[in-house]
Amino acid sequence: MEKELIDVDLSMKFDSLSVLENIRFKVHENEFLVIVGPSGCGKTTMARLLAGLQKPTSGHVTMRGESISPKVHNISIVFQEPSCIPWRTLWDDITMGLVIKGVDQSAIKKRAKEVIKLVGLDGFEEYFPKQISGGMKQRVAIARAYATNPDLLLMDEPFGHLDAQTRYLMQIEIMRIWEKEKKTVVFITNNIEEAVYLATRIIVFSKLPARIKAEYRIELPRPRKLITPEFLGVRSEVTEQCEVVER
Amino acid sequence: MGSNYVERVKVFSYNLISLTLFIILWFWVARWQASPFFASPAEIAQGFMQMVTVGDEEGITIFMHLWQSIIRVFSGFGAACVLGIPGGLVLGLFPFIYNRTRIIIEPVRFISPIAWIPVAIVLLVGFTRYVFVIWVASFFPIFITTLWSVRNVNLIHINVARVAGASRWFVITRIIVPATLPYIAGGMRVSLGISWMCIVAAEMIGGEMVGIGRLILKSSMMHRMDLVVVGMLTIGILGYCLNEIFIRVEKRIFRWRAAVSID
Amino acid sequence: MEEKINREKYKTLGYNVLTLFLFLAIWTLAYWLIKSPFFPSPLMVFNAFLELLIHGDIEDVKLGMHIQQSLWRIFGGFTAACILGIPLGLLMGLYGRVYDSTKVLIEPIRFIPPVAWIPLVIVLLVGYFRFVFIIWLGAFFPIFIGTLLSVRGVNPLHIEVPKSFGASRFYIIRNIVLPSVLPEVLTSMRVGLGIAWECIMAAEMIGGERVGIGIMILKYAQLIRMDAIIVGIIVIGIIGFGLNEIFIFVEKRIFRWKEVVSI
Repeated sequence: MEKELIDVDLSMKFDSLSVLENIRFKVHENEFLVIVGPSGCGKTTMARLLAGLQKPTSGHVTMRGESISPKVHNISIVFQEPSCIPWRTLWDDITMGLVIKGVDQSAIKKRAKEVIKLVGLDGFEEYFPKQISGGMKQRVAIARAYATNPDLLLMDEPFGHLDAQTRYLMQIEIMRIWEKEKKTVVFITNNIEEAVYLATRIIVFSKLPARIKAEYRIELPRPRKLITPEFLGVRSEVTEQCEVVER
Repeated sequence: MGSNYVERVKVFSYNLISLTLFIILWFWVARWQASPFFASPAEIAQGFMQMVTVGDEEGITIFMHLWQSIIRVFSGFGAACVLGIPGGLVLGLFPFIYNRTRIIIEPVRFISPIAWIPVAIVLLVGFTRYVFVIWVASFFPIFITTLWSVRNVNLIHINVARVAGASRWFVITRIIVPATLPYIAGGMRVSLGISWMCIVAAEMIGGEMVGIGRLILKSSMMHRMDLVVVGMLTIGILGYCLNEIFIRVEKRIFRWRAAVSID
Repeated sequence: MEEKINREKYKTLGYNVLTLFLFLAIWTLAYWLIKSPFFPSPLMVFNAFLELLIHGDIEDVKLGMHIQQSLWRIFGGFTAACILGIPLGLLMGLYGRVYDSTKVLIEPIRFIPPVAWIPLVIVLLVGYFRFVFIIWLGAFFPIFIGTLLSVRGVNPLHIEVPKSFGASRFYIIRNIVLPSVLPEVLTSMRVGLGIAWECIMAAEMIGGERVGIGIMILKYAQLIRMDAIIVGIIVIGIIGFGLNEIFIFVEKRIFRWKEVVSI
């Protein structure tokens, strides 16, 4: 029985526009939860609410009973757009979270080396963001997110800006990374194949105003293959739920 | 929708409050200073009324001064546009001419138009003096901006047209020119601002009778500081209004653009 | 490949030098054709330059002195503008409410050309501080507005990341906002310096000092010595260009991590 980590029960409005309605779900420890939904359905807002960067208009997001807040809880987030700080070397960027949280120097060094190896960027510590590719920039973001050993790791369509091949690669990579260091991940995407490939559990959001349409547990064995009948079966089920197919 | 309106009302009232506070503060400082050199808001208001109705010591109203300054500015500005825009377009389309004549163009570009004023005084008289100075002041911003904007036209758009078999003329008139228009308009606005600055200087240094610059200088020599401030405020407000008008026009014509800069 | 690039560079340089010579040749030719006391030949200008450099002008003030005075005045005013403009710009950028609420005060004042302040300043201040104030006026607004806008232009993602790690507001300002705005602050300083350079010319011409490049030009304008005037103009152009280039050089060195675009 998995431990429950986060309890979500909220609605969110911007002025008179209702973005999220009656969203109720729980996040369990060390699960890879994927939220799937059409573009513009408030998924990014959901990510920001989970990160504590915004407060819901009604309801709550709590971790272990406390209202979620970046200053209280250990949260990391990987954004869709590359978020490397341009004037910092990769090393400085990756260690940013650790520095902010007041970890001491030797521990920072040790951990930073670990995560750089984990994401496969050794040798690039002294590079600047303008010298590396998009896929590498997202690896930096992932390393930075992992460095602080977060209780909750949020990823908001992190591979959305990458080309198709890099995207496939990163999906495999993130699985490898997650298998090595299990964290509680909430992953947001509009790509159903990606969702079925990565998730232990999928939550489907509807169009605006977003409600939870369905929930799936994915029990396929890992590493998953994209073309097995089982995979395709699950995938088409989820796709139908998402109303992607025109009637 | 509602909160936006409330915000705007708030900002408006804060502005009003700070303006009132400022005028009151000014009034107090003027009383405290009690110097003939420090004009109080009341005196300035009076001075303004005088300028509007009777005029200064020589009977020239503020409107006459303004009018003179304005036609000088717009003549020079117009002349600069007539030469600067086509010139910039041509040199932008044929960069090799520009690259090889840069040694002359660049230093000249950096000569302050103010420096040309004595030259204008020596070589020209009357109205043409000012037109010349303003022309020098406005030419380079317009020219350089036009040139730069031609170079920066998105190559993709050009290639799309060329692949479709468009002639060189078509590409120039239907793709490049419309793409550069917003930047040219921006350059024109900046030029206008610079011209406005220079006309005041030119009028102060030159020896005309009429013009805002002349008004300010004359009044200061007669220690009519209230008129000096009237002149200054007139220029400031007019410059601000011209800029705002330009921005509004730019926004309307170029609705397809994402953002227009402040200055 | 490298050889080809070098060849291109030399070709451009060569053409530039050629254009320079052509220009001088045409100038000399024009001189021979026009034969007017108002049109000096390049040689005459060069002679005037030497004379001013070695002997000094009609009051025996050397060219070096003039340049030094003008630069010293600029230095004072520009430093003052930076010391006030940058912190204020940062403050108003971070706490935007204050700026929005006082816009009605700031904007019209901003549009009053610094030149228009000169008569007022002549009455109220003396000597060195006159110039410092005028230049401060000219440089302050570009620096202030530029800094303010740069704060608003900080990439929101760069703020969200440390925020998600629980960073304090102080950390974000010091480690994200400040490095982020530095390039644009330097650019607005460069623009401010350019404007300051223009203002100093005007201020010197109107002010009535003895020393300064602006004054030098005016002196000779009254004597109708075009050759000396042209020397002055060229000096102004070169110094203005030089100041700009110094800034660009500094910008490029510090910001190796960025692509710097300059106009």
